[in-house]
Amino acid sequence: MSEVIVVTSGKGGVGKSTTTANLGVGLAMRGKKVVLIDTDTGLRNLDLLLGLENRIMYDLIDVVEGRVEIKKALVRHKKYENLQLLPTSQVKDKSAVNPADLMALCDELRKEYDFVIIDCPAGIEQGFQTAIAGADTAIVVTMPEVSAVRDADKIIGELGRSEKDNIKLIINRIRPAMVDSGEMMDMDDINDILAIKCIGQVPDDIKVVTSANRGEPVVGDNDSQAGKAYENIVGRLLGEDIPFMEFEKEGFFKKLMKAFKLSKD
Amino acid sequence: MSRDLVTIKGGKDGFRLLVDSSASMEEIEAEIKKKLDENPGFFPEGTKFELEVADLDRSVKKGINQILSQRGLGVELSVKKDPPPATDEQSQMPPQYFIQHDGNVEAQEMTVVEHTVRGGEEVTSQGSVLVMGNVNPGAQIIAGGSIDVRGTCRGMVHAGAWGDISAVVIADRLMPTQIRIANMIARSPDIMEKSDFAERAYIKDGQIIIEPIER
Ligand SMILES: Nc1ncnc2c1ncn2[C@@H]1O[C@H](COP(=O)(O)OP(=O)(O)OP(=O)(O)O)[C@@H](O)[C@H]1O
Ligand SMILES: [Mg+2]
Repeated sequence: MSEVIVVTSGKGGVGKSTTTANLGVGLAMRGKKVVLIDTDTGLRNLDLLLGLENRIMYDLIDVVEGRVEIKKALVRHKKYENLQLLPTSQVKDKSAVNPADLMALCDELRKEYDFVIIDCPAGIEQGFQTAIAGADTAIVVTMPEVSAVRDADKIIGELGRSEKDNIKLIINRIRPAMVDSGEMMDMDDINDILAIKCIGQVPDDIKVVTSANRGEPVVGDNDSQAGKAYENIVGRLLGEDIPFMEFEKEGFFKKLMKAFKLSKD
Repeated sequence: MSRDLVTIKGGKDGFRLLVDSSASMEEIEAEIKKKLDENPGFFPEGTKFELEVADLDRSVKKGINQILSQRGLGVELSVKKDPPPATDEQSQMPPQYFIQHDGNVEAQEMTVVEHTVRGGEEVTSQGSVLVMGNVNPGAQIIAGGSIDVRGTCRGMVHAGAWGDISAVVIADRLMPTQIRIANMIARSPDIMEKSDFAERAYIKDGQIIIEPIER
């Protein structure tokens, strides 16, 4: 049974593409047949995160406009051959694809792949409506930040109006020390407001950035907390019951320093 | 609580004065003065009240008119062509404006929202609104009557939006960005505390008061 998942957020830059790349690689590592679709036409970057830019021949627009077969436009991952990318165009804009196109495409890919994961553009305009059209499940990515949570809430409302009721949440870029000190929204507050099932809590981790620059998503890197977190999300998508991990907090020494400083002023 | 002898209700097109016909003129006079003093600045000069009860004694009507005109206010005897207006009005207005609710929210015509109201969503109702879920930041509820949130209220709520100063806002956890009742606005403290008990907001002495309630 295959599943079409759209990764969306409302607010830009919260980690949709990062999530899509990591879930794609993570699921492929577990032996699943996966295809990733970049629908951020004009601002494509999923290919960069996967290190596949130099292999792109055709794109999503070529497919929907009937110039090439889907198969020809798919780019196979270097390491995991059961992972494919359907990139989008760098030069066209969002109006080049409509919801019906994407729905038809998803139904076609569904036949062959276990997971179709769609990277959605930011915003709630046409690009969003197109990206969600063919999806069974929506993953909403947010950050522990008032404005990102506000936008996530709005997106969840939009998804509801489009009759997408299977919605899951990933909270990205958490800084445990800031949560502890009350400078960042805590997970309970976010879950209380958004009230959808949370399937991931990903810490802010420099390794996400350095690995993205190399074109190798961080998932599976056990030295990285974010890498572990993505691996756990993959497990949960596959129906495993995995508890949320405790993040490494700041050390005892740092805490002592802080306490000392507090008592001074 | 004993039944109010005099009730002032805001409707879409102005204020209505509901007077218990069994009350004596002295009682009515004291009560009207009290009501007006409770909400200074609420009734600008020239405000006209529509008298709600038809079977008032003529002398009482006259008395009320006198009390009001002393303060630069007035009674509107007929908005419609045919006098006596009050009874005739009743059949034309939506019923919720005539139900005396004595603080009882249930008595008004009610819009029930069976889900969380999310950011960017707006619920507007002529009567009262009951939300079976949260009202999230960025959401708006606007009600002619009262608002009851069976969950956490973090959005903007406006009860008595057309002037009903007896409207209230109730929530399991009341932490909205703003509460408006009639033409009064209370904004949240800049640092919001989590509330652990149900609360009610209402107008008292010309201010929005928030107090814990049992439920
Ligand atoms: N957990 C993390 N820790 C550190 N950096 C992160 C994390 N997640 C994402 N980032 C960084 O944040 C930036 C934005 O991420 P990404 O491009 O995935 O967001 P997006 O939601 O796809 O953005 P857009 O709306 O522009 O498509 C990138 O530079 C990425 O490396
Ligand atoms: Mg992106």
